[in-house]
Amino acid sequence: MNQILVRHKWEPYLWLLPSLLLMGIFVVYPIGIVFKLSFSEISRSGMVGGFNGLSNYITAVTAPEFGSVMLNTLIWVVSVVGISTLLGFIVALVLNAEFRGRKIARSIVVFPWAATLVVQASMWKYIINIEYGALNNTLLNTGILSRAVNWRPSYIIDFAWECGIGIFVTVPFVTFCVLAGLQSIDLSYYEAATVDGAGFWKKLRHLTLPLVRPSLTVSTVLNIIYVFNSFPIIYTITRGAPAHKTDTLVTYLYMLAFSEQRKGPATALSVVGFVILCICAGAYMIITMRKEDAE
Amino acid sequence: MKKITALLLALVMMLGCAAAFAEDPIELDVIICEYGNNTRDWFLGSGMNGSNFVDLFTAANPDVKLNLQVVSWSDVHKEVSTRISNGNPPDILNIDTFSEFQADGLLLPVTDYCPEDLYQDFFPAFMEESVVDGTVWAVPDLASARALYYNKKIFDEVGIEVPATWAELKDVCQAIKDFYAGDVYGIGLDLTEDEGQVTFAYFAWGNNGGFVDADGNWALNSDANVEAVECIMDLINSGYANPSPSTQTRYELQDLFGAGKLAMVFAPNQLPQYLAEKGFDIEFATADIPHNEGATGSSVGVMDRVMAFRDDAAPDQAKRNEAIGKFLKFFYDPANYVGWVSMETFLPAVNSAVGALVEADPSFEAWLNVLGNCRFYPAAKSEWADVRNGIVVDVEQRALTGEEVRPLLDALQTKIAGN
Repeated sequence: MNQILVRHKWEPYLWLLPSLLLMGIFVVYPIGIVFKLSFSEISRSGMVGGFNGLSNYITAVTAPEFGSVMLNTLIWVVSVVGISTLLGFIVALVLNAEFRGRKIARSIVVFPWAATLVVQASMWKYIINIEYGALNNTLLNTGILSRAVNWRPSYIIDFAWECGIGIFVTVPFVTFCVLAGLQSIDLSYYEAATVDGAGFWKKLRHLTLPLVRPSLTVSTVLNIIYVFNSFPIIYTITRGAPAHKTDTLVTYLYMLAFSEQRKGPATALSVVGFVILCICAGAYMIITMRKEDAE
Repeated sequence: MKKITALLLALVMMLGCAAAFAEDPIELDVIICEYGNNTRDWFLGSGMNGSNFVDLFTAANPDVKLNLQVVSWSDVHKEVSTRISNGNPPDILNIDTFSEFQADGLLLPVTDYCPEDLYQDFFPAFMEESVVDGTVWAVPDLASARALYYNKKIFDEVGIEVPATWAELKDVCQAIKDFYAGDVYGIGLDLTEDEGQVTFAYFAWGNNGGFVDADGNWALNSDANVEAVECIMDLINSGYANPSPSTQTRYELQDLFGAGKLAMVFAPNQLPQYLAEKGFDIEFATADIPHNEGATGSSVGVMDRVMAFRDDAAPDQAKRNEAIGKFLKFFYDPANYVGWVSMETFLPAVNSAVGALVEADPSFEAWLNVLGNCRFYPAAKSEWADVRNGIVVDVEQRALTGEEVRPLLDALQTKIAGN
């Protein structure tokens, strides 16, 4: 008996060891390196010099484009996560209802999720291209338009397209998280509510929403992290041009590090991003968990 | 049985090590940029008469082992700086810039490894572009010259002449815009981080301005440069250029030109080959890059380089330098180099290749004359990389969003030169 207990003490750690090792080598160690680099002088050629205090952070934060990049990041995360959560929730409700062809509809929703982001972003770039884009071609050939339209007349519209594409590719993830939550709800709750005379909106507010909240929490926290870190859409469509006006923090620090060869400020910004994400995700989880406990 | 196998394996490994020690070839890590579809094949595949550079070099120089890597242009700076950060720079590097490596004391002076006869073979004007503090730090591997290409059919249809000045350029663009009602763009302008600095050079040099003054000091906010950037913005804002200059790279513009949707484009001497490989069939011709009234036009040249990194840990420096020299000697040997340059239709950097190239293709001579008048970026100045990014992102792209040009150039000049 005693022996079994002793064995059980270290056994779980043994089974966890491979993944802990992998995480240590590929996640924790690189994060440590980035923290160290962010306080080091890095020359343009890539030579790592000595400790230089906060100067990388100061250079990064006082750059004239820093404010607009942070604002863009905020708009990007809030709009993509917010709108795709709303749309994903609606789509999940629709797909949860009984109708013919539901299976096909569900698989169609997966498509944008199944293709890699670079492929999707390149496709959209092609679709909205003015000279030979699919959108213009279709509208011209069907006679809806008589002249090609420039769908990307300014960087503000460019950024709006990027947010739109971000929403388009994020909706399926939310849909499936919520759908999983919806399917686990016992139908008898709804029957009871119907007997008590509750309408659609009342059932939605007092039954569905509280019961899928755990799924929504998971999808929102994960989405905040994914969307904040999302790189391919913006990099493929505008590369942050013109003058970093369409950059978010992640694309901006990539351009700083690898296009402008200023790795010091870039590593400082990646530490800033890491901290912001930890705070956002942590705060969101604490708030929702408290609410759940209170209920 | 297992023991015997293990013993045998150990024996084989020991023999292998012994063999390696016996030959003791000098190993050189070489990074080459991927210039086009044929680069990799030429260096590593079968693009050199059925063989490749590495195999032929090794056969001729058994005492040197090449670890040669062909890296795409979009990755090469990343690759090199990561290797430097990890304390493992290449021995030989082919890339466009050199001053950032020189500034960190990473490079060997060219005279340390380059054989004298080869040194004398390089065009002296090219060598001057890689001098810092009186020392040459890199040798040119090839060059290309830029010109204005125009679509003959469009020019005939509209009934216009090739523009020589900015005013004529604007008139021609207006005529094209009127004739095609906006379906064909007049001129292609690349203001992306790829080549926005070349677009600046076309107009600044065509207005007697430029990156530096006569003494070689930064002169970014000269009146001539302000006019040049304003001219670029005027072309864009008048609807004469491609619609998204900050995201459309030269390659996209070349495709538009090939498809007949762009009447004029600035491009290197490789454009005909590019269009042919892509299957475009249009009639085009070249002209000088337009300049401002009263200014002298000048051609824009782009040059890449080969440089050798220090390796203080190498046991025998003289032997290592000799091995690097052998690599260069083999690369610039006319028997190899002529094939390399003409494969991607570049312009040569050594005298010994000119005769054979002109003989093979008489049209080369015209380009060689252009090359003689070319101006190059001030790449030897250590601030060049900052200037390059600043011109594109902080000047051109900001001007594109509606900001006034002069304060932008003033700010960049202050940032770079402090005045």
